[in-house]
Amino acid sequence: MKHVLRDRALSIALAVLSVVAVAAIIGPWIWDKPVNATGSSLLDSRLAPSWAHPFGTDQSGRDVLARFLSGARISLLAGVIAVITGGLIGGALGVISGARRGWFDTVVMRLLDIVLAFPPLILAMGIATARGPGVTSAVIGIVLTTIPYFTRLVRSDVVKINALPHVESSRAMGASERRTLLRHVVPHTASTMLVQSASVFGYTVLSLAALGFVGLGADANTPEWGVMITKGQSEMLNGNWWMATFPGIGLLLVCTAANVVADRVRVHLHSPAEGAADPDVPVSIPSISPIGVSG
Amino acid sequence: MKRFILTKLLGALAAVIGASILAFILMRIIPGDPARLQLGPAATDEALRGLRREMGLDQPMWKQYWIYMTDFIQGDWGRSFKFGQRVFPLMRSRFAASVELGITAFVLAFVGATAAAVLTTYRRNKPLEKVANGTAHIGLGTPPFWIGLILLLLVSQKLGIFPGPGRLDAEVAAPNKITGFYTIDFLLAGDIRGFLDAVHHLVLPAITLGLAPGAFLYRLFRANLLDVADSPFLLVARMKGVGRLRAFVRHAVPNAFLPTLTASGLLFGQMLGGSVLIEELFNWPGVGAAVTSGIRTQDFSVVQAFILISALMYVVISALIDVLYGVIDPRLRGQGSGR
Repeated sequence: MKHVLRDRALSIALAVLSVVAVAAIIGPWIWDKPVNATGSSLLDSRLAPSWAHPFGTDQSGRDVLARFLSGARISLLAGVIAVITGGLIGGALGVISGARRGWFDTVVMRLLDIVLAFPPLILAMGIATARGPGVTSAVIGIVLTTIPYFTRLVRSDVVKINALPHVESSRAMGASERRTLLRHVVPHTASTMLVQSASVFGYTVLSLAALGFVGLGADANTPEWGVMITKGQSEMLNGNWWMATFPGIGLLLVCTAANVVADRVRVHLHSPAEGAADPDVPVSIPSISPIGVSG
Repeated sequence: MKRFILTKLLGALAAVIGASILAFILMRIIPGDPARLQLGPAATDEALRGLRREMGLDQPMWKQYWIYMTDFIQGDWGRSFKFGQRVFPLMRSRFAASVELGITAFVLAFVGATAAAVLTTYRRNKPLEKVANGTAHIGLGTPPFWIGLILLLLVSQKLGIFPGPGRLDAEVAAPNKITGFYTIDFLLAGDIRGFLDAVHHLVLPAITLGLAPGAFLYRLFRANLLDVADSPFLLVARMKGVGRLRAFVRHAVPNAFLPTLTASGLLFGQMLGGSVLIEELFNWPGVGAAVTSGIRTQDFSVVQAFILISALMYVVISALIDVLYGVIDPRLRGQGSGR
């Protein structure tokens, strides 16, 4: 905790994320304005920001702040779900591959190569089209694109940790393979997982907005940030800047904060995945594609 | 070494085939009948059946895949009903627009990132460092389509410095097609006004597209430079009387540059493949824009071709990088399978 408070960038980033999270959780109760067409009036459409509507109103007279807050809920929830599912599946695959090696490892790595070779946006779009567009489809697609990154990093950690003396002594003392793995190997992948989770969180929030922007994420009436930006796009060029600007700022805050957290945590924890050149990690693969779904 | 390269290439080939199968299955499980989409709701059963047979949709799945792949290799990529054109020439002409934008954006990103990283590590200039780090964080954390929108609003509409969406002004006619790159084609035709207009239109989309990769490269290169700066061999060099600048240029930069170079290669490949969102936003007639509309209208052949090309590009570039690494760093050669 002291570490965290002494690191200014990390404290600010965590503060930003907490504020957005709190706003997402209790905001929609406190700022209780209709986010859908029912209950709002067309007479109020396109109002500039004021005390009654701090973020202005959109084409249908809906309060942009209320929609912004609901949007924060959707984005953060999507991010958390993606990190948990992607992390569990990718992490488990990585642990098993790294511990067992052999044919299982080869097959998993080859399959993940295929997923990596697939353009991420297209994979997410394809799933959205196959299942019918919506937030759930988009998140499934995004999770699929994140799994290879989790697996590769965790696998390379496991391979390295497996060779450390403390693991060897655990085996020498007669601990079962399973116990050794769970008690002495897996816990040491925590720092890698933590760093990776923060990056994936930001990536998911950004990607969901990107899919919403091209009309393959949330549907047109959902108060999702990417969708709000699309709908505000034409208005923006007519001088009604607020509809697309605020959701954009929300994305900027959340994603930048998530990246800063990933970055600083990496510095503090010194994950074993870094350091000397490791023949098993393709040097060419970043922890998550910087263009990825949002390009 | 031969064995090493061979394993890498075989692995790459397997990944491309895998991706092509995945693409094929994905396109086929998407609900909707391509024949129906093409002929419209008023088509007779007779006509539908005829077209299905012509498209090979009555064949079993594996056979359809086989036919598709053999045609693909021979340059017959099917027909886009949305654009009413064969896919191969369609993609070829759109590819030029994407590649022109991609190269410009990559050059901006690469030059900007390396220059910024070298400047901020050599001089250790605090204010400059802060600005560069801040820009990099924002570049990585902001949706490019939103940045593009803000740029369009501020720089194009409010300030009028750069033009709005599109490849050329409305009154400027497209150049005769030689390379498909407007800038080069204008130069070849000796049309300076057209050339300037084309460059003018490239700037905003290129900045938007290059920002995130540039930020990523900057952070990567800088981190490696700082790492190398602390390493003993640099200290030894300095102790032996090598000057600061020379130590930096001759010893630090080359040792820190390799990861950046490989990451650049992959990013370049991705950027050439067209950027779906930015092309849409800037109304850029490239591959990405065709693919988005292809997905929306279930124009299978366009999307499938795009997936195959991107997968091929990704796999070839990463295999090349792996091989290159093996050539440069012999430690990596032993584990042919450990990709």
